[in-house]
Amino acid sequence: MLIQILNGFVYGGLLYILAVGLVLIFGLRRVVNFAHGGLFMLGAYIGYTIASIAGFWVGLVASVTVLAVLGVVMDRVVFRPLQDEDPIVTMLVTFGILLVLEDLVRTIWGKDFLTLKPPAGLDGIIMLSGSSFPVYRLAVIALAVLVAGGLSLWLRSSRVGLHVRAASVDPVTTAMQGVDTERLGATVVAIGAALAGLSGTIAAPLLALSPSMGSFILIDSFVVVVTGGLTSFTGAFVAALLIGQLHNLGVVFVPAAASVIPLVLMVLVLLWRPDGLAKKRS
Amino acid sequence: MSEIVLEGTGLTRQYGGFRALDDVSIMVRRGEIRGLIGPNGAGKSTLIDVLSGRGAFSRGTVKLEGRDISGLNARQRRLAGLARSFQRTNIFGDLTVGEQVHLAARAAEAENAGEVMEALALAPLADRRAADVSYGDQRRLDLALALVGRPRVLLLDEPAAGLTMQESLTLAALLRDLAQRWQVTVLIVEHDMDVIFAICSSLTVLHLGRILVEGPPEQVRVMPEVVTAYLGSSVA
Amino acid sequence: MKMRVLLPLLFAAAGALLPGLVGSTLLMTLLTQAVINAMLATGVGFMVRQNGMVSFGHAGFFGLAAYIVALCTTNHVVTAEFAVLLAVALPMLLAFLLGLAILRIAGVAFSMLTLAVAQSFYELMLRWRELANGDDGMAAELPPRLFGAGIAVFQTPESMFLVCWAALMVVLAGLWLLSRSHFGTLTIAIRENEERARFIGYETLLPRALVYALSAGIAALAGVMFALYNAFVTPDVLYWSLSGEALVMAVIGGTKAIWGPALGAVIFFLFKDVAGDLTEHWPAIIGGTLIVVTVLLPRGASGSLLALVERLGVRR
Ligand SMILES: Nc1ncnc2c1ncn2[C@@H]1O[C@H](COP(=O)(O)OP(=O)(O)OP(=O)(O)O)[C@@H](O)[C@H]1O
Ligand SMILES: [Mg+2]
Repeated sequence: MLIQILNGFVYGGLLYILAVGLVLIFGLRRVVNFAHGGLFMLGAYIGYTIASIAGFWVGLVASVTVLAVLGVVMDRVVFRPLQDEDPIVTMLVTFGILLVLEDLVRTIWGKDFLTLKPPAGLDGIIMLSGSSFPVYRLAVIALAVLVAGGLSLWLRSSRVGLHVRAASVDPVTTAMQGVDTERLGATVVAIGAALAGLSGTIAAPLLALSPSMGSFILIDSFVVVVTGGLTSFTGAFVAALLIGQLHNLGVVFVPAAASVIPLVLMVLVLLWRPDGLAKKRS
Repeated sequence: MSEIVLEGTGLTRQYGGFRALDDVSIMVRRGEIRGLIGPNGAGKSTLIDVLSGRGAFSRGTVKLEGRDISGLNARQRRLAGLARSFQRTNIFGDLTVGEQVHLAARAAEAENAGEVMEALALAPLADRRAADVSYGDQRRLDLALALVGRPRVLLLDEPAAGLTMQESLTLAALLRDLAQRWQVTVLIVEHDMDVIFAICSSLTVLHLGRILVEGPPEQVRVMPEVVTAYLGSSVA
Repeated sequence: MKMRVLLPLLFAAAGALLPGLVGSTLLMTLLTQAVINAMLATGVGFMVRQNGMVSFGHAGFFGLAAYIVALCTTNHVVTAEFAVLLAVALPMLLAFLLGLAILRIAGVAFSMLTLAVAQSFYELMLRWRELANGDDGMAAELPPRLFGAGIAVFQTPESMFLVCWAALMVVLAGLWLLSRSHFGTLTIAIRENEERARFIGYETLLPRALVYALSAGIAALAGVMFALYNAFVTPDVLYWSLSGEALVMAVIGGTKAIWGPALGAVIFFLFKDVAGDLTEHWPAIIGGTLIVVTVLLPRGASGSLLALVERLGVRR
């Protein structure tokens, strides 16, 4: 049972790192980035390729860097030019990007499943109350906690973080206060994309790589974001852990219906609190 | 003394630590056209919001014709006979003028729609998209949407804002006429004093979220505290 | 006014003549598929038009209906006729209930959730092998007669085209009437300004949930036609790339006109036929088209067509 719960935390951690990027981007640009699943997948593949040449850690750094750059490009080419349009337009465009990315990955890396080994030092197994558990998975949990801690520290104590929080509550007023939301936008989208790359690469040793891996986890992270309240970082954290657990228990006990369980949770949360777990100040 | 149709007691609304409305009580009698004035940010729109059931939770009770409607939402309050217009034009851009006035009239008061459109000079625009007509037309449309359901009480938030002086006075005359003909009780927020003096039988002055004074227009106008409130706000 | 009724009637009649004019069975097969997809796109487009919300998950209702037909007929739980009714009614009911829960939140969140819901159906059918044979798909054991017609009627391109065409015309006419009714005006009003709609005394959740249900019902009808025509379903009918395709069709055609998405579907299929060899990269083509059309042609083909007609001074 302990093992199952830990596995739930592993998946929850991955979900959190991905979902919090969506929350960041949504907060600032008020758009849902459907391409996020594509970025996750691209991150996994880039990490995979470079890791097989130069080792896991180089792969991880490379993937995060490439994705951050891609984030800046996306902000320049997509989010900024479209920011005065109906959010539907941007949403459709990012959905289009997702489809293109899936095809791109399929063309470059092929359809077959690929797997990556955990890095040396973390590839062992430890015994926990009589069962064995991969060390790498514990490391993933630790990393998710680290990201959450780092992010909340950054949001709370740095100037940029303050602006990001302010802009998430009210982008227009924040811009009027003289905050350079353009630069802020590029930074935030870059961080969001980098986090997608990060979660993609650390997921590579856990999940099999396939061109559709992005869409599967994207959907769970959507559920996390909505359940958490769209703009709330804490809400996303709590929702990710909850949904990670539910998803995992579902896979173990009712495999056929595993994908439905997080949705049921979400619908219940929305009926209880229409604005998500973290009740928004309206 | 005629009966009280709209009564707010202890109305309070807080934004963060700031009280936009602080323990305000107001009574409006049947057939009255009550003016609600006060400097910018005094809380006039907030009072209209609280009375009409818009926005977040607030404290206090609202009674319409003796019935407590505090627990009702905006839709239920409208159905109970309380309608409102908005300071910032709040219409249906992609519907024609005629379509939305008929929609607002609801089936029961359908005959009413044509009359209101005639009275507000909207009839010639009936087939135009609301987003495409002029600002002045949109202001009158906003008013029409509130007026057309034959509410018993009408809350108007600066219906003349942005209109020319001529348009404002025409609107004022029209309002007085309609209010009398349909026996609507009106609470009107307005910065244009010409409009206020043309139609209001009494005034309530709001300042910093509280009621400063109430009384007949001629008296209120010269009260020192009112003058100070206005001067103070325009100096600061 | 007369033209407004006459022109569509002429168009509907002209369409019905197609099977007689087109000699090639291959082309008829393509056209039949196009019309089934036009129905799906019409459902997606109606949601955008009346609710201003984008569904990324209409394949969920389409596929659910197809599976209901296949499951019910194969397991002989109910008569095939009843299965068809069920296949339309259940997705509608589901959409209605779901709508009551998720239409209260912002439009963007709604889009995310429609995708999630459809995908959960997909995974359900994929994983629950005992029920629906997973990835390999399942055949629908249709009875020899359905609604008094031989089953061949539904499985021959020429006759099935007529059935689908007629259904599409009826749906479009129905939606047109609905859009001119009180309900049509009310839903547009809610789409435009939900708050003011409440302040003029209307409940705003129920009408939106009804629109969602109706639009899901249209997608389900398309799914029924798909199941009857192919007598075989795989989880692909629930996959999100189908939702995406339907959305692309609606966007290409434009959603302002009720018939826009259907037009978009036809254009889409012609385009797909021309693309031919490139279909290996079909997802990228769809994605690219979606981006280009949304940004450059926001009103879609029907919008451009109407603008052209207006410019030529033809009174509608
Ligand atoms: N949603 C809100 N959040 C925070 N503060 C608000 C909000 N709405 C209004 N306020 C504040 O409450 C106070 C009263 O606002 P209100 O709009 O009621 O004033 P008003 O009397 O209608 O002014 P005006 O003449 O400019 O329309 C103002 O100081 C305003 O800044
Ligand atoms: Mg005001």
